[in-house]
Amino acid sequence: MSLIFILIPFIASAILLLLRPAGLSRHLALVAALANLAATAYCVCCDYSQGMTCTFSVPWVASAGIHFSLGMDGITLIMLVLTNLLAPLIILTSWDHKFDNEPRYYGLVLMMLAALNGVFLAQDGLVFYIFYELALIPIYFICAIWGGQDRIRVTLKFFIYTFVGSLFMLVALLWVYLQTNVNGAHSFAWADLVAVQLSPAAAHWVLVGFFIAFAVKMPVFPLHTWQPDTYVTSPTTGTMLLSGIMLKMGAYGVIRWMVPLAPEAMHYVDPLFISLAVIGILYASIIAVKQSDIKRLVAYSSIAHVGLIAAGILAWNKTGVQGGIIQMLNHGINVVGLFFVVDLLERRLGTRSLADMGGIAKSAPKFATLFMIIVLGSVAVPLTNGFPGEFLLLNGVWNYNFWLGVLAGLTIIFGAVYMLRAYGLVVFGAPTPATERFEDLNTREFLVLGIIAGLVIVLGFFPQSILGLTEASVDRILSVVQF
Amino acid sequence: MTALLILFLTAIAVLFAGLTKRSLLQPLSLFGTLLALGATGYDLFGPGFGWGMEYASMFRFMPFAHAFSGVAILATLLIIALSGWGFRNLNSTLGDHYGLILFSLCGALILFSFTNLTMLFLGIEILSIPLYVLAGSRRDDLSSNEAALKYFLMGSFATGILLFGMALIYGATASFDLGAISRVIGNGDQMPGMLKVGILIMIMGLSFKVSAVPFHFWAPDVYQGSPNLITAFMATVVKTAGFAAFYRLFAIAFPGAEGFWSVPVALVAALTMTVANITAIFQQDFKRMMAYSSISHAGYLLLAVLAIGTEGADRALLFYTLTYSLATICAFGAFIIVAEQTGNSSFEAFNGLGKKQPLVAAVLTLSMLSLAGIPPLAGFFGKYFLFTAAFAKYPWLIVLAVINSAISIYYYFKIIIAMYFNREDSQETALEIPAGVRLAVLVGLALIAWLTLAPGSVYGLI
Repeated sequence: MSLIFILIPFIASAILLLLRPAGLSRHLALVAALANLAATAYCVCCDYSQGMTCTFSVPWVASAGIHFSLGMDGITLIMLVLTNLLAPLIILTSWDHKFDNEPRYYGLVLMMLAALNGVFLAQDGLVFYIFYELALIPIYFICAIWGGQDRIRVTLKFFIYTFVGSLFMLVALLWVYLQTNVNGAHSFAWADLVAVQLSPAAAHWVLVGFFIAFAVKMPVFPLHTWQPDTYVTSPTTGTMLLSGIMLKMGAYGVIRWMVPLAPEAMHYVDPLFISLAVIGILYASIIAVKQSDIKRLVAYSSIAHVGLIAAGILAWNKTGVQGGIIQMLNHGINVVGLFFVVDLLERRLGTRSLADMGGIAKSAPKFATLFMIIVLGSVAVPLTNGFPGEFLLLNGVWNYNFWLGVLAGLTIIFGAVYMLRAYGLVVFGAPTPATERFEDLNTREFLVLGIIAGLVIVLGFFPQSILGLTEASVDRILSVVQF
Repeated sequence: MTALLILFLTAIAVLFAGLTKRSLLQPLSLFGTLLALGATGYDLFGPGFGWGMEYASMFRFMPFAHAFSGVAILATLLIIALSGWGFRNLNSTLGDHYGLILFSLCGALILFSFTNLTMLFLGIEILSIPLYVLAGSRRDDLSSNEAALKYFLMGSFATGILLFGMALIYGATASFDLGAISRVIGNGDQMPGMLKVGILIMIMGLSFKVSAVPFHFWAPDVYQGSPNLITAFMATVVKTAGFAAFYRLFAIAFPGAEGFWSVPVALVAALTMTVANITAIFQQDFKRMMAYSSISHAGYLLLAVLAIGTEGADRALLFYTLTYSLATICAFGAFIIVAEQTGNSSFEAFNGLGKKQPLVAAVLTLSMLSLAGIPPLAGFFGKYFLFTAAFAKYPWLIVLAVINSAISIYYYFKIIIAMYFNREDSQETALEIPAGVRLAVLVGLALIAWLTLAPGSVYGLI
């Protein structure tokens, strides 16, 4: 079952890249993404209280203890929901773009989808690492071929930054792997890696190695410097894939791999990690307030939100981890909505500068309403999807340390300031000649933005539906890993 | 042994065929190498011929030798398949070319199986002497002549040093036999100074041969000046043979003295990868870049020598040389097409290739990604196996190697960037690619894909 999530997009991607069916590419991409969504919907109905289900394992390099093994629990499930729910929406948002060499474009998007699903499903350390890196190749090409100004320099920086980060993870992973002993051989299986007892000194280095990889990806201050440039330069689809899904690979990696593999030293390094996350929240929020480019503003807001997710997860208590998981899903939905709004503005007005906008409420009421709902979700107003996650996250950080909780809480205030300021500048105020002629949403755009706004409200009303799915799995991982 | 005989006879037949029937040369060489590959496969996977496994305690064909012979013969096969096009401007000397390549391959096979220092010396000479000629085979080209002269001078210098080392080792142990030398060394606590100097000099001589820093200066000029296919041959078959010999010598003859030689080898490895990778960043020419890339891979491969005694070191070496050879040959195959089209080997020649020749660009992209060791491509597994083998003994060196493979992304990606993202001004029509070249490149690509999906099939071989 779990193999389907990787195979469908991978085969579709291979068809697109090798056969190049020129006219049909986006349709094929959408069909593949929807097939994955259907598979995810089926999996939501499985029972996750008994540990890993839908496992699949074949030996890859048997003599070196590497198995291609996949499996699902509640945490993985939410990540799959995130990936496969957003993928069709992301494909739909680029439907009207005329891309040079369309089959290649959608082929790369689907390859990315396959790799992301693989990251979340992997139950073998090396398989996880390989998918983690594989996700980087398509997004690099998407950003570097179809990106904006200065794309070659920015994307190469992005690639090297994240690749170097992951290499530290590889070294850490290898170190743990070489300590495993299953009948006299080494093994990369998750359970075997977790069973290793590291010395505190070794655990220190292992944690640092993993943290560098995941902190680059999320990104956590001070390893975030690749992110705003890359977001701004990428085509919108690339930005959505990066911010909506790919960042969560890092947070997911912390839950599934980093802490379970080396809990022995978490006591010593955790305060440092959480402090960095909280510093990142404040730093990015303050910068976001001052932005005049709306795409850059959303990029910085994303750093702030993901910083809070990281802090909550690193607090490693039930509320924090649960909040992190639910917020990964909700942040993905919101940020894809926001970047779609940015893309619509840029396509229609030809600018991303907040100073050139205003008065869109009059000419495009549907747009303004749906934009408002997404902004409210992103500001974490109660009864929108942002609220339960941020509440649990702050609660988790608060339980860890009162003052850090207070500082992290400022993100809500800052978030309201910069998001509402941006919303006001775009939608209200005096219209300019350009914004007066702003067309309202067409059917497809309305559909995509409407689905996103709908999710914002539904998930805000019924957070328990998601928390219930993950609770057993979070309990299990917390009980396995204590420090 | 069977494969060695087949190759030797083919080479002689090719030399004679060159006098009369030129159109027969490539098919004949292809047939001979295929036959040799089949014989090696029969020895490796099947019951084996059961004769000639050992000869007068001079060489012994074990699975190690068969597996590495497979790598070298396969690489030669692909190069010969590419050569129909690459050699088409040669006139009178075509037969010599194929003959010399096959003779050189015979030398490589000896290096995979020697059990005696004299055979090591003979193998290296048989491998090198044809190459001195081949490097200078574009007789009217000044840089080719320069390459041949440099290669010859440096190569004979290195051989001289190697002989000097052998003489000292013989003086200390009274034997040329690897097993006997190992017995005399014992656990290495009572080594005479002559032996130590001998081992050190051997390290120097072999480092010359495999172009490890600081004995690498000949490599960039020779690689750049030699004809493209000969460069590919040097970068793959010669490197594989050199490292297999290095590994064999140290694993069989000097394992007891590891405490003595491991530090200098580790230093050479660290220097090699760092210097080569950093220098490669500044190259503007594809062949020079590939030369430094090949030097940097020599640095990684030295990790296998350092890991001697660890389970899986020889497998890691085998897997790495195979993936590296395949990716390099694919890259050169694509490069030959580009060079034919533009007559230029700088990075600008690749501009806009993604549009003009999507297949060639895809092949080159995958080989570059594999050389850079980006997961999940075969090159990643090669690095992974090597690094794990040496991790327990030299963690600091592995961290350095990892940082170096990150640096290497920069220059490998330059090619990819040029192909896909740089616009091309001139609108030349795409050159028709002959079927043989296309087939060879696609076979190489298919093998890389196979190693990506099932690395265990080769890793578990020996």
